[in-house]
Amino acid sequence: MRFTRFVRRIILLAALPLLLFAIPAASVATASAATSTGWIRLAHLSPNTPAVDVYLYSFGDSSAQIVLHHVAYGTVSPYEQVPTGDYTVAMRAAGASATSAPVLSASVDVVAGKAYTVAGLGPESGLRLQVLDDQLTTAPGKALVRIIQASLKQNVVSVNWGGDTLQSSLKFGVVSSYQTVSSGTATLTVSGGGDTATASVPLAAGTVHTLVVLDGPKGLQIDNLLDAAGSGTDPAGAAATGFGGMAPRAPSSPLPWLAAIGAGLLLAAAGGLRFRSRRVATQAAGGHHRVPAARS
Amino acid sequence: MRRGGRHSRPRQTSAGSRTAALLVAAGLVAAGAGAAGLALTRHPDFPQAAALQVLPVPTGPIAAAPTQGAAAVAEPLSLVIPSIGVSTALVHLDLTSSGALQVPPTATVAGWYTGSPRPGAIGSAVIAGHIDSAVGPGIFFRLSQLQPGDRAYVRRADGTLAIFEVTQVRSYAKDDFPTVAVYGPVPDRELRLITCGGTFDYSTRSYLSNTVVYAKEVS
Repeated sequence: MRFTRFVRRIILLAALPLLLFAIPAASVATASAATSTGWIRLAHLSPNTPAVDVYLYSFGDSSAQIVLHHVAYGTVSPYEQVPTGDYTVAMRAAGASATSAPVLSASVDVVAGKAYTVAGLGPESGLRLQVLDDQLTTAPGKALVRIIQASLKQNVVSVNWGGDTLQSSLKFGVVSSYQTVSSGTATLTVSGGGDTATASVPLAAGTVHTLVVLDGPKGLQIDNLLDAAGSGTDPAGAAATGFGGMAPRAPSSPLPWLAAIGAGLLLAAAGGLRFRSRRVATQAAGGHHRVPAARS
Repeated sequence: MRRGGRHSRPRQTSAGSRTAALLVAAGLVAAGAGAAGLALTRHPDFPQAAALQVLPVPTGPIAAAPTQGAAAVAEPLSLVIPSIGVSTALVHLDLTSSGALQVPPTATVAGWYTGSPRPGAIGSAVIAGHIDSAVGPGIFFRLSQLQPGDRAYVRRADGTLAIFEVTQVRSYAKDDFPTVAVYGPVPDRELRLITCGGTFDYSTRSYLSNTVVYAKEVS
């Protein structure tokens, strides 16, 4: 009974250092969130459609994750980071009850690391919700641009940036494909039916832009949306941010202790030998030291 | 008359036997001490840092969410992470001649990589700090203890505060570093806090992993 208790204690003592190793590793693992996410934004780009309320539901939920009230023509919301999965976007007339039938709805499947724009496009009579797959990355040193033509007054427009023609005839309600352009600042010109709008637009390296052509209060108008940005140049590899002052230090060398054990055993052996040789010597010489035997 | 012979007990000189006994005793004590010392020193030495001091939440005008086309976001000046006791100015970091991320010159200050977006602008702003110096804890010693929901505050040159909320804390082996996940472009306003972690390799005098904290701006 006492022996097993003793053995148990020894095992616990031996196991304790292992626990100390395990705890720091475990805390890093549990602190990291396992959820994958993507991004969604919502846009109202139908010129003759009145303001709407836009609802974003995780598929199957009856209460909305995001609600934007009184979204008017020309509004593009910031991207919202959401967990991956299926979503439903619903548009209702501004101020309509949250339980009323939506005017329009669309579903979006958000994939990890991807971004989406859900845009109301077209004329009010043919209003549709279109789900756009948004790009986030560009070729190194370049910018990426696409154009959404949301001007009803100018049915077809041409778009020039600097000396380049980006689009020669882009129809109302159409989203152009992405184009790679050299980074820099240049004048963006949008023309249609005699109406022209210009803006000085910087397109930095590594950025993605959506240019929206709108019917503004004074005619054609361009909005330059920065969709995504990263570092101008990504650092190569990992970061050397530690010198080891707080790192666990390895156990000290066992050699001094082994030497002590060795020396101690040698000493004890020497003492034992001396003890034994004294015994032998005194046994052998025992007769000389005692009262002489009376041998007769 | 008393008779001698082999049945009599031999007598020994007391000096000789005392020496022998002392040798044995000393030897056993030395061996025992050696064995005890050996057993007690087999565990690694874990250096301890001073106790955590949680800091008050910074106050000040919170940055209004910039609209598209608004003026560029002001430069970052300082970083406070109350839950892990971090309060630091931000030095500027560039890239080394080999293209790697520069690191702050001392372990007591963190730095913002100037090639990355400013904290609060669209994209992932990169801030790096040392986990330790050669002798003690560094400014980002407790970075790996952050939890999703913890907040980080960046004070900017125009006096406004940008508030970020931690979404993930990850650990990556340095020789398998996911550049795209950490530095790649994102469409919202995010922050990356980077320090070392994992095992320290004494032969190369460097840690084998990086801890990366992901955070997004909250208004």
